[in-house]
Amino acid sequence: MATYQLQLAHLYGNLLNTYGDLGNIMALKYYGSLLDIDVASRVVSVEDDFKAADYDLMVIGAGQKFEQSIALEDIPSKHDELAKYIENNRPLLAVGEGYQLLGQSYIDQHGNKVAGAGLLSHRSELPADQEPIQDDLVVKTKWGLNYHGHENHDLVTYLGKDEQPLGKVIEGVGNNQDDDTEGAIYKNVFCTNMHTVLDRNGDLAKRMLITALANKYPDADLTPQREFKIEPTY
Amino acid sequence: MSFKSSVAAGVGHLSYSVLHDVFNRGSSLPGLIALKIDPDILYHYKDRYDFVIVGGTNGKTTATALAVQALKQKYPDVLYNPTGSNMKRGIATIFMSAPKPKKKGLAVLEVDEANIVRIVKYFKPKAFVFTNLFRDQLDRYSELYATWDRMLEGVRMAPNATIIANADDPIFNSVDLPNPRVWYGFDDQPMGDLEAPSNTDGVVCPKCHHIIHYGFITYGGLGAYFCPNCGHKRPELDYRVTAVDEMTSADSTVKFDDYEFKIPVGGSYNIYNALAAYSLSRFMGVDQEAIKTAFEKSPEIFGRQERVQIGDKEMVIIMVKNQIGVDTVLDMIKTDKEPFSFAFMLTALPADGEDTSWIWDCNFETLKEHDIPYYLVGASNYKDAATRFKFGGFTDVNVEPDPAKLIDRIKEMPTKRLYVVTCYTAMRQLRKALAEQKLIDGGME
Repeated sequence: MATYQLQLAHLYGNLLNTYGDLGNIMALKYYGSLLDIDVASRVVSVEDDFKAADYDLMVIGAGQKFEQSIALEDIPSKHDELAKYIENNRPLLAVGEGYQLLGQSYIDQHGNKVAGAGLLSHRSELPADQEPIQDDLVVKTKWGLNYHGHENHDLVTYLGKDEQPLGKVIEGVGNNQDDDTEGAIYKNVFCTNMHTVLDRNGDLAKRMLITALANKYPDADLTPQREFKIEPTY
Repeated sequence: MSFKSSVAAGVGHLSYSVLHDVFNRGSSLPGLIALKIDPDILYHYKDRYDFVIVGGTNGKTTATALAVQALKQKYPDVLYNPTGSNMKRGIATIFMSAPKPKKKGLAVLEVDEANIVRIVKYFKPKAFVFTNLFRDQLDRYSELYATWDRMLEGVRMAPNATIIANADDPIFNSVDLPNPRVWYGFDDQPMGDLEAPSNTDGVVCPKCHHIIHYGFITYGGLGAYFCPNCGHKRPELDYRVTAVDEMTSADSTVKFDDYEFKIPVGGSYNIYNALAAYSLSRFMGVDQEAIKTAFEKSPEIFGRQERVQIGDKEMVIIMVKNQIGVDTVLDMIKTDKEPFSFAFMLTALPADGEDTSWIWDCNFETLKEHDIPYYLVGASNYKDAATRFKFGGFTDVNVEPDPAKLIDRIKEMPTKRLYVVTCYTAMRQLRKALAEQKLIDGGME
């Protein structure tokens, strides 16, 4: 058994489940095992009770629009606890439709603009040409490292004032065709259009794990974890 | 028939003969030419045939070909599109290349889901056969419910056509329709109370949007579903698998309606394909014995599986294109009682689907139940595949970026048999190399 234990919530993991987000969770478990951490994962979905204090990590993934709409119906029952989770600086990864869902508004499967969860300040819209965006994506993060991935999304996203981009687009499209940004960061929430982002970018997995450890074990010496070098996988 | 249609049909027929002689294959070019002359050429054939349209993500080709074998026992003129050319021009080509039937013929057409509406415009089928709907390549045009809506557009134009559908797929029972319904499914196991694995697509009750449960699951999200919230459940079955007596990686012995059939390839998905063909054939009045004969004499119809002898080794090549394809293949491979090695070849060109995130939803870990001595991942996206296996806890996984080199590398493997589970582009690369070394015929795949 590892020295540290973290509990992960896979939010709507049986609904937003089409684009390999189990891979993000496998990455957190894999790097966790190298950092002396056991990561346990649990799906938290419609009608499940959710208490922010029970979880150290969270992933909300990419999926189909029909299932996104069902998750949206359930959001009010978890809204306040999710807000608490975010405001308490806990790490959350939101990908694709999960990213859109957390914002102010997005476009649903019928082409209608709907109010999102309202937990973050971005909004998502149809691109001007209404064509889905699929491309290899490379972004330069504020930490200096480039992240690599594949984007596959049908909406463009514009960030709110209190959000920073995950990175600046070097190759591909990213959030939209206008501002060269990709993804969003608010406190320790990381949003992206890159599917299975953690599998090619272990650096982000490590950041989330160390953030979660520092939250849960404030007195622990995390030097070995911080010094751990991530090998590239792309 | 209009003058334009006759000209178009004549030109199409002529170009079919020419192309067939030159290339020994028809392709869909004659249909394309005829459609240029008369875009409505298909009207020309609407009274010469009864029609059946087969649609669904997986199994269309196999179910169609099998049903045709069985239907031929009763109907003298059965036409189908055997090359998997399921777009409008491919279908036009089929009609043009066929001799005119003496009396009314039967056409069983595999039609791409999005094209059903375009075909039904020209003729009203006697029946639709719907096999299943899964997420295919992960592009944004193929969301399950959007695909189903497009299929329904075609169905609504033919309200008298009987819908023969897989009852185990919840999506086919999500909308009330005026059409007569015939349902087929598995009925060989006791009922419990299960949920599908969390990464299964489409597990929401279509009526009340709660997560559906299952009495049992056959694979993916297929099974005897019921909604614990609103009571919506799998419809009563008209044709059923009453027993699966034996399943190996090479064949299955099953009973449909208590009558024994031997299915000459492995995999539960092929039992579904055979059941779809059986259901259509029974609906069309073919007896069980004739269907049994048709199945047994048609092993080549099944699946994209190819066995290649390389010295004293055997390479079994199985093409996959999505997560459900991989999982059903893994379940089949696991029934092999002989030792084997395993290779997964990942490519991400447009023909394969450019988004490889589906590999993370495949249950490769299930292979650990088997003592497999040699793993290999390869092809152009070998790094993603290697990461998938590494994070999944596999150690000592070999890597080979070039699919052609599998022909040499099979020699280093400790088993006689190697399963190569491969995406389309990597399969083409491997088959090209096999053909160059005269290990297979170099014909069209």
